[in-house]
Amino acid sequence: MVPAKRESLITQMRRGTLEYCVLALLRDQARYGFDLVRTLGEADGLVTSEGTIYPLLSRLRRDGLVTTAWHESPSGPPRRYYELTPAGQEALELFTAEWDRFTNAVDRVLKQGERP
Amino acid sequence: MTTNVDVLVDRYLTDLDAELHDLPAIRRQEILDEVGEHIAAARATLDAETEAAIRTVLERLGDPADIAAEARDRFGVPARPADQATPWLEAVALVALVVPFLSLIGVVLVWLSRRWTARDKLIGTLGGIGWLVAPLGTIGVSAGGGGLGPVEVIVFVLPFVLPIAAAIYLAIRLRARAHAKAAPRTP
Repeated sequence: MVPAKRESLITQMRRGTLEYCVLALLRDQARYGFDLVRTLGEADGLVTSEGTIYPLLSRLRRDGLVTTAWHESPSGPPRRYYELTPAGQEALELFTAEWDRFTNAVDRVLKQGERP
Repeated sequence: MTTNVDVLVDRYLTDLDAELHDLPAIRRQEILDEVGEHIAAARATLDAETEAAIRTVLERLGDPADIAAEARDRFGVPARPADQATPWLEAVALVALVVPFLSLIGVVLVWLSRRWTARDKLIGTLGGIGWLVAPLGTIGVSAGGGGLGPVEVIVFVLPFVLPIAAAIYLAIRLRARAHAKAAPRTP
């Protein structure tokens, strides 16, 4: 595939799913921005530049899916932690169920095409 | 060394602030604060705050223009088409700034512009109110009984020099921003 085309394909797939990856990382624990961004960055191909996560976090907060609270940090000044709200929890559950159904369906079709 | 590092971080955040200018003020501040906190947290993990290490932190964050583009996208702010257009407001502001009785209008126009950062605007304001010192200078000179010492000369000349210096500075900043937009930034 042409590199530019591949790039835009990944961008489009990332666009719809990244926010749920953020919500998923917050499911079991509150995290501060740097921790969240670095953890996301460890997943290959999800984040191209770390800074672009912050507009997304800002949007999630405006939509009431996450909230922030200041907590003491073991070293240095207090940190702003992101937490999932009940609405965020609900959005994540809905996505997870839909995602399973969707990827299963796509997988099945892709594999069908493979069959001789 | 620390100073160089601080300058780099400062410049990055100033650029980001300018790039975010067309977002709602709350969102702009939020993103700016959080990127600032990210940098602080990243710095805390460094063994040594070398210039190279900080450059890596900033490169990983990415181009401020990309962050702003993402923010516009997430908040449904239309991408700006008029960026390369002639900055008329800014041109009028600079002219007004150096004309004695129009300088206050110039200051207002400088603050209305979206092409300068808050720091640029403060410098423009200082230059614009330079004219207000003129009467003081005149009074000072006449009260001095005609003696023109170095202090009187400075007080007398300052009102003329300040606005022009500020206008030149603002013009340079305006050009620098236009160039940064026209050519892709190198990290």
